[in-house]
Amino acid sequence: MSEFIIETHDLVKKFGNFTAVNGLSLQVPVGSIYGFVGPNGAGKTTTMRILTTLTRPTSGGAFINGVSVLDDPRAVRRAIGYMPDEFGVYDDMRAWEYLDFFASCYDIPLAERKKLIDDLLALVDLSHRREDMVDKLSRGMKQRLSLARTLAHDPSVLILDEPASGLDPRARVEIRELLVELAKMGKTIFFSTHILADVSEICTHIGIVEAGQIIAQGSMDEMRAQLQPHREITVTVRDAEAAETVKRTVGGLTGVVNVVDLEAKGGRYRVRIDYTGDDDGVAALNASINNAGVSILGFTEETKDLEAMFMRVTKGIVT
Amino acid sequence: MQTIDARERGIAQAIAWLRRGLLTHVAVTLLVALLGLLAGFQSSPELLGMVRQSLMFNYSGAADAAALLLVLISLANISALLVLVVAIQAHESWVLPGNVLVILANLVLVVWLGCLTGLLTVVFGGLAVASMARVSGLLRSNPVMVRELRGRMRGARAFVVLTLYLALMGGFSLILYFIFGAVNAQNASSATGIIGRTLFTGVVGIQLLLIILIAPSFTAGAITGERERQTYDLVRTTLLSTPSFILGKLESSLAYILLLLLAAIPLQALAFLFGGIGQAELLLAFVILGVTALAFGAVGIYFSASQTRTLSASVRTYAVISIGAFGAPLIALFVLNLLLGSSLVSSGSDAAPLIETTLQYLRLLATSLNPFTTAIDTQALLVEQQVWGVYARTLASNGSTIPMISSWIPFTIVYVAAAAVLMVVTIRATRSNDHES
Repeated sequence: MSEFIIETHDLVKKFGNFTAVNGLSLQVPVGSIYGFVGPNGAGKTTTMRILTTLTRPTSGGAFINGVSVLDDPRAVRRAIGYMPDEFGVYDDMRAWEYLDFFASCYDIPLAERKKLIDDLLALVDLSHRREDMVDKLSRGMKQRLSLARTLAHDPSVLILDEPASGLDPRARVEIRELLVELAKMGKTIFFSTHILADVSEICTHIGIVEAGQIIAQGSMDEMRAQLQPHREITVTVRDAEAAETVKRTVGGLTGVVNVVDLEAKGGRYRVRIDYTGDDDGVAALNASINNAGVSILGFTEETKDLEAMFMRVTKGIVT
Repeated sequence: MQTIDARERGIAQAIAWLRRGLLTHVAVTLLVALLGLLAGFQSSPELLGMVRQSLMFNYSGAADAAALLLVLISLANISALLVLVVAIQAHESWVLPGNVLVILANLVLVVWLGCLTGLLTVVFGGLAVASMARVSGLLRSNPVMVRELRGRMRGARAFVVLTLYLALMGGFSLILYFIFGAVNAQNASSATGIIGRTLFTGVVGIQLLLIILIAPSFTAGAITGERERQTYDLVRTTLLSTPSFILGKLESSLAYILLLLLAAIPLQALAFLFGGIGQAELLLAFVILGVTALAFGAVGIYFSASQTRTLSASVRTYAVISIGAFGAPLIALFVLNLLLGSSLVSSGSDAAPLIETTLQYLRLLATSLNPFTTAIDTQALLVEQQVWGVYARTLASNGSTIPMISSWIPFTIVYVAAAAVLMVVTIRATRSNDHES
């Protein structure tokens, strides 16, 4: 078995003349939280529907745990938990009955179901809403219940389509924490989103999809390195003279690509240093400024936010 | 390269045995029908006598009636085996007892009538039971049915509907009683039997009408409803099989209708107070009502699976039912009655008896395609001749007799078989549709 729990090779799906997925190849490592990011209409949902055996690909292969979705859909269904982007709800059920129904659909014997349902409700923090009708739950609760449903048969992979869309900030954080919790339990989580904050907070891996193709993928660190040619360090000092000293001091050091004056903020002067060295280099940089007799008010490395990365990567492809 | 476990292998084996049983019954049906035709054309009744001697040796009636019974028994077996084949695919818990029941019924026929073809089902059904018995965990309640019934029976709604339904039926019976009381008082012929029969007929008629309206509406929205609520994909990514899903939908609708039918039995039984009807009528009315619900429900499921919107599924369901079960059979019946009264039959030519026999059987078929004409015909036969099974009908053309059967029997066979075939088609279509979307 390969180290990738989800794999696709040159996946193509055409609906008539429209190509939704166009040669998409992705690899999701075991145990990762994989953010599947892309604009609306990029083919995220279609890819997920192929992976969950709901749609047949026009060509190419898709594998869960090394099993092709075409050859053995039942084995694939046993291995995955799927949450579509729209929350399907039966209006005439209680929360526990909702889980009981899906557990029985997975052939879980009656005797085991009661304990399973209690555990699942506790996991998603809905034990107190056990007897409530599903359609009376808030959106965030529904989403958590939905997540509990995907766990009924203890799958190794969760495929979640926009799990955080349409939720208020608090509910979004709760879902995010749940996903991290599940990853700790050893589940691989593959989720699509266009909320980049979600990705930067919790993902270990990311794949950016555009017009039905993966245009970049890898671990978060790899992606950062790939998308960001140098580190940006901002040094804040008290006056213009100190700023000049900083510029003079670091200007000649190896690894420093560029030194720029930033706009003064609140009477404080700031200098941005573009640096390509490693962490030791950054520490040395700090020390050398200190040695030059400058009192440093702030020394921070800016993490380029994902939005900037995303915009840079997708630039020009989407019109 | 599907993962096939012992359970699925056992089920596949059981299906194979049932299918073999089914095919042999088809062969028997064709063979006996062929012999019947030969006997009719060459007017050599000894052919049918041989059939009775060899295959129905305990049957004391006429040889042609024995052949007719033989065909019917095979057809009934085909229907029953079809239903079992569908049900076993859905891992239904009632398959095993159902199969045993079918075998027992056939054993009774073997002992009682000496009907040797029943042994076919005993053998193949027995082999299927043996395959099933080796499969553990086959017995389970259908998840879809459990869920639907939970929802349907929740709160006051289900009981309000039931109460309203019984109140309406009760009110209707009361009106019938008063009207007929008044009419009979004028005629001064206090035939309470007629009151009883009228009450019974009225209640059953209304029930039949309700079922024809309700059964398709329940099922036509069963699968499209899942699509509209966006729960379809959720269920389809579970391990729930297509047959379980579809049969669960049909069963849950039928279960509620069964409740309505059972609840109204005391109302039907009211007629016992006045006399004029017997237990046979009550039982046969129940069979006709139940079979109607099954078949029309199956039509609804078929369209619900093939359409995306509930509305278009409903429209198609009602259209097919009104043409297939009402328009076409009633027009056919009208034409056949015209022909039977025409000179074709009364001309006295040599061909007249054969033409009349053919027309009579066609009329039986047309009658048994519609639940109302079936009910009327069955009751008329019970009232006039006290017959619920095979009887002899005298031909108008030459005075000889042909064997006939009460139309509820072909009705049941045809409707149950149609329902089973529709389920098979629906399951196939759903499987292939799912992959195209």
